[in-house]
Amino acid sequence: MQLNRVGVGLIAFFGLAGAAFAIVPILAGVPGEVAGILASVGVIWVLVAAGLLWYARRQQRKAAHQDWIFRQGLRGTATVLHADSHAEVNEMPLMSLRLDLAVPGHGTREVKRREIMPVFAASRMQQGLVLPVYVNPEDADDFVLVW
Amino acid sequence: MSAVDSAYVELAADRGLGQLPGFDPGQLTPLLVEAKGAGLQPALRGALGEGVDGVVGQLAYQRNRKFRFQVALTEVPAATAFAPRVFCIRRGRSTRDDEFYGFETRHSKLWTESTALNERYEVATSPFQDPMWLRQLFSPSLVDWLGTKPPADFSFELAYGALLGSVESDDPGAAGLAALCEATAHVATRIREECEE
Repeated sequence: MQLNRVGVGLIAFFGLAGAAFAIVPILAGVPGEVAGILASVGVIWVLVAAGLLWYARRQQRKAAHQDWIFRQGLRGTATVLHADSHAEVNEMPLMSLRLDLAVPGHGTREVKRREIMPVFAASRMQQGLVLPVYVNPEDADDFVLVW
Repeated sequence: MSAVDSAYVELAADRGLGQLPGFDPGQLTPLLVEAKGAGLQPALRGALGEGVDGVVGQLAYQRNRKFRFQVALTEVPAATAFAPRVFCIRRGRSTRDDEFYGFETRHSKLWTESTALNERYEVATSPFQDPMWLRQLFSPSLVDWLGTKPPADFSFELAYGALLGSVESDDPGAAGLAALCEATAHVATRIREECEE
């Protein structure tokens, strides 16, 4: 996972503009009520930037964990038992999948997984499709689905 | 009859392909998703190359401007278990399939191990694609072939067993269409061989 220019730009915009709104009016001697309103907006924008930064770091940790499972995990297969979608994120379907997970040493069991997928992938998630998976050796519920 | 229609008539006669009244392949690959169900028109069905059957046709759609691709579609179902998706796209071709929105995990990663391949193509796969299988698929002979033999604007997308070869030419002529068919069939054969190994 990496921040792209849009992400960096959003964090920079809300962070810098928020700080400017909060500080500049006070330094410039703007009357109290106006300075207070601008400072409130500024603080909210700085909080938005902080929230975005927190989310980006969380996504980064998630991606690093998935990379670890991919490198260290047990390879198995997931057979699609059922797939449907009732929502979209950024024009991509949010798929709800019911999978038959088969991993050497862990047997076979049914699991559920939600994944945001491009349309071409979502349209192929049909009963019987077999996909590779990598499973955390220490936690069989923790797996990466290769789609 | 337009030049493109004439090229398809000539191709059908040369290679014994059957005319289709129009063909909707569905949203099988990123390029076909971009076309939003535009379908192939004209379209021919038959042997793309030795032992490889499929459909060849023109994909035209509007997105900001008019896009025209000549495409050849075939199937390699066994590939799904090894590589759900492999996109080998000519450098410089504009696609939207790898966009992400600032904070999301990427849904694909670039395969950059082969310098020769990367001079001409961008190869993208699942972030969790088995690298050994890709190394075997993109053997030196296939890399050499991809760098020198296919039409200059050739790209291919492999997604869940559907293989779509494409060129960007508006009017490649019957010879260009034949080259597209041969190139797609060659890639399909190579993928099939690797799956069987």
